[in-house]
Amino acid sequence: MKLRPDERLDLSELLRDLEHYRPRRRGWTWRRPLPDARIGPFRYAQVSEPLARSVPLPSAHAFGDIDPQCDVTITTEIASGRFEDDVRRMRMAAWHGADHIMVIRTTGQSHFDGLIEGTPEGVGGIPITRKQLRATRKALDAIEDEVGRPINFHSYVSGLAGPEMAVLFAEEGVNGAHQDPQYNTLYRGINVHRSFVDAAEAKRVMANAGLLQIDGAHNANATAKEAWKVTPELFVQHAVNTAFSMAVGMPAEQIALSTVPPTAPPAPKLRLDLPYAVALREVFAGCRFRAQQNTRYIESDTREATVTHVLDTLISRLTSADVQSTITPDEGRNVPWHYNNVAGVETARQTLMGLDGLDELLAMRRDGPLGELVRELIERGVLFLQEVLDQGGYHAAVESGQFVDSGYFPERRGDGIARDPEAGVGAGTVVPREPGYGAPVCSHFGANVYAESEGKACSAYGGCTLCDPTKIRYVDELDPDDNVERRLEAPLTERARGLLRPEVEKAGDGVVCVTLFVPDKPDVARAAGLELARRMGLRDPEVIHARVLHPAEGSVFEVKGVLDVALRADELVLPEQEARLPHAEIEAFVRPRNLHVVAATAGEDEHSVGLQEILDIKHGGIERYGFRCHYLGTSIPLERLLDAAEEYDARVVLVSTIVTHRDVHREQMRALHELATRRGLRDRLLLISGGTQVSDDLARGCGMDAGFGRGTTGQDVASFIVRRLREAPDA
Amino acid sequence: MRRTQRPDDFESRRAPLRELSDAELRERFWSLARLVVAPLVEQARTHTTPAIERSVLLRMGFSSAEAKTLVGRLHERGLLGRGAGRLVHELAQRHGLTPRDAGLALLEDRHWEELAG
Repeated sequence: MKLRPDERLDLSELLRDLEHYRPRRRGWTWRRPLPDARIGPFRYAQVSEPLARSVPLPSAHAFGDIDPQCDVTITTEIASGRFEDDVRRMRMAAWHGADHIMVIRTTGQSHFDGLIEGTPEGVGGIPITRKQLRATRKALDAIEDEVGRPINFHSYVSGLAGPEMAVLFAEEGVNGAHQDPQYNTLYRGINVHRSFVDAAEAKRVMANAGLLQIDGAHNANATAKEAWKVTPELFVQHAVNTAFSMAVGMPAEQIALSTVPPTAPPAPKLRLDLPYAVALREVFAGCRFRAQQNTRYIESDTREATVTHVLDTLISRLTSADVQSTITPDEGRNVPWHYNNVAGVETARQTLMGLDGLDELLAMRRDGPLGELVRELIERGVLFLQEVLDQGGYHAAVESGQFVDSGYFPERRGDGIARDPEAGVGAGTVVPREPGYGAPVCSHFGANVYAESEGKACSAYGGCTLCDPTKIRYVDELDPDDNVERRLEAPLTERARGLLRPEVEKAGDGVVCVTLFVPDKPDVARAAGLELARRMGLRDPEVIHARVLHPAEGSVFEVKGVLDVALRADELVLPEQEARLPHAEIEAFVRPRNLHVVAATAGEDEHSVGLQEILDIKHGGIERYGFRCHYLGTSIPLERLLDAAEEYDARVVLVSTIVTHRDVHREQMRALHELATRRGLRDRLLLISGGTQVSDDLARGCGMDAGFGRGTTGQDVASFIVRRLREAPDA
Repeated sequence: MRRTQRPDDFESRRAPLRELSDAELRERFWSLARLVVAPLVEQARTHTTPAIERSVLLRMGFSSAEAKTLVGRLHERGLLGRGAGRLVHELAQRHGLTPRDAGLALLEDRHWEELAG
């Protein structure tokens, strides 16, 4: 499958012939660093190979549209419940710099004792199945070709089907996975013996397939009432999973610790979170670090979430991160929306680019509280481990509720999660291997008669699926109603008819979000906000964020609702967009003609930066093409502007109007047109206005020949001038 | 088991750790961690589960549904301790079948008597 940047992903093509689709590689891929790179006007210390296609950060337009890529992998977590919608979001995220796509599993899958097949719809995530993985991997293979960088695909090897899930991931080209038996035990109520025995097999499969493993310790942050007090235990959870993984054959460089800075402002975040981050990286040197952003304290305020996530990412740069994971700023209020995945990714990459080379500027002070706190945290972790052993080992410690206690160890409050080692989901299913136990397959852990024979364990029958993928049994659909083909009938029909609906999560959901400030007391304002949304035509309006600005003066609300409108794309009137002329073509026309341009900001307007950028050669302005530019200054009366035009026999007047108070910009344009007409200059002059609030339509409506708004370059203006003058009788 | 409650007595508990260098403290941490996981690893080495056995059958070319049914039946009969993969593989060798065909025969209720011993 090949994607074209100007075409939407073809879902029918995606689903075609999946039975025979094979992933192109196994295992994780890191970004390739570019040491001491020069990109545009800058030198960078922490960047990787550029993308072939991307959407640069917003301010990049001021630096020649550069799009440097940081050196760390960036994660986004996507799961609407329908993979066919998620793949489109993955493509958008990839264009914004994500190269680790994590798919959340549907509620309840971890308690499913076996694999699920087909493509049933999920809740809060996706049912992970072979077909769903294969289709997603196929989409990601096409997306990585489009953006020019490998994309790591990731999901979860936990629950009651961990070993099978690991095999499935290895077979289907999934590149990373969460695997941590403590997660099953503490949070999923799965029997502890079953969890660890399964985990050993799953980890061996993952290790051999090169998957990056991410552990589950960060869940304690999200669960504990006071997340910063659980830090001593986090050392222990990381250590249990890491030591267990290594013992079953996983190399350290495939083990990524999932770590979250535990606090958020107004807590003194860096003072609490930085010593923890430093201590963790010292104790676990040699492992990888997957730095996750904090979710524990964010609720509905996306701005607040973004600031916390910037600080989290600062901690990553101050210490280290191999993978910078991102949390969507709306995660506290709904299942994340398309554009918030992109927002989360952009927060991380914007922050990381801004902090490029921080190591060269700053070093951490170890002689003050940082050094003392690092030592203290590690000592608390050692004491925690000692207590696990004193209790009689891991199982006894879990039984006694030693984990996820809200006390700052060794403080204990007696509110930890306690699990009976002989109970839980899957209890009693662990079976001793008999002396002749055998498993004639690759990537198997533990006692096994075939492990002692020469060569591969699977060679007697021609190879297991890990060696011979043609043996994989592909199952398409089991449910005739709950499947992707059925779900796509309506959206694909609408797409074929050229219908467009707004969308935040699933095709055709129609959900929009409006922001309203209402000047009254919070409860009145809220009711008003909802009613206003209803009157805008939004069905089922719901306040998803409210913030009091003042108890009497008013509150701001974000209200979501369904706008049940489908537009026909072919009936829309699009503003004509003329392509820019090539530089050489413009210059070839302008240079021999000695064309004069007079320019000024009109009336009482002191804003001149935008106009200078259109004119100045050093900003890529129109002077470079050979225009003779006469910049008169700011707040220039219109008469003087036209005097100058006459004096230089100019063909073009550029007038900048930024101030729009009381529509003064429209008045200035109209007045200029009328004055030029009265003085008999109008036919010979091109009158062009520009400014942040100016549009071409608005300017023409006020008598101008053209108007240029935000984002205009000298090339745009010059292209217009050349096109018009070519048509002029004296051209 | 009674849950422990106690104040933060870190200052007294840390006393014996004070004399350790930072490197020695980290080494202590890892030696304790290895002690904690050693019995868990040993249990994993010497035990199996229905999920492990299903994953073995998947690797031998069975579908998820076939593997689930077959492992369920082996488990009921107390045969998982010998390894689902080995039982299927040896049955296949005896009958000159592929492992999958041997497994499908078991799913059709044939050859079970051969597995009993």
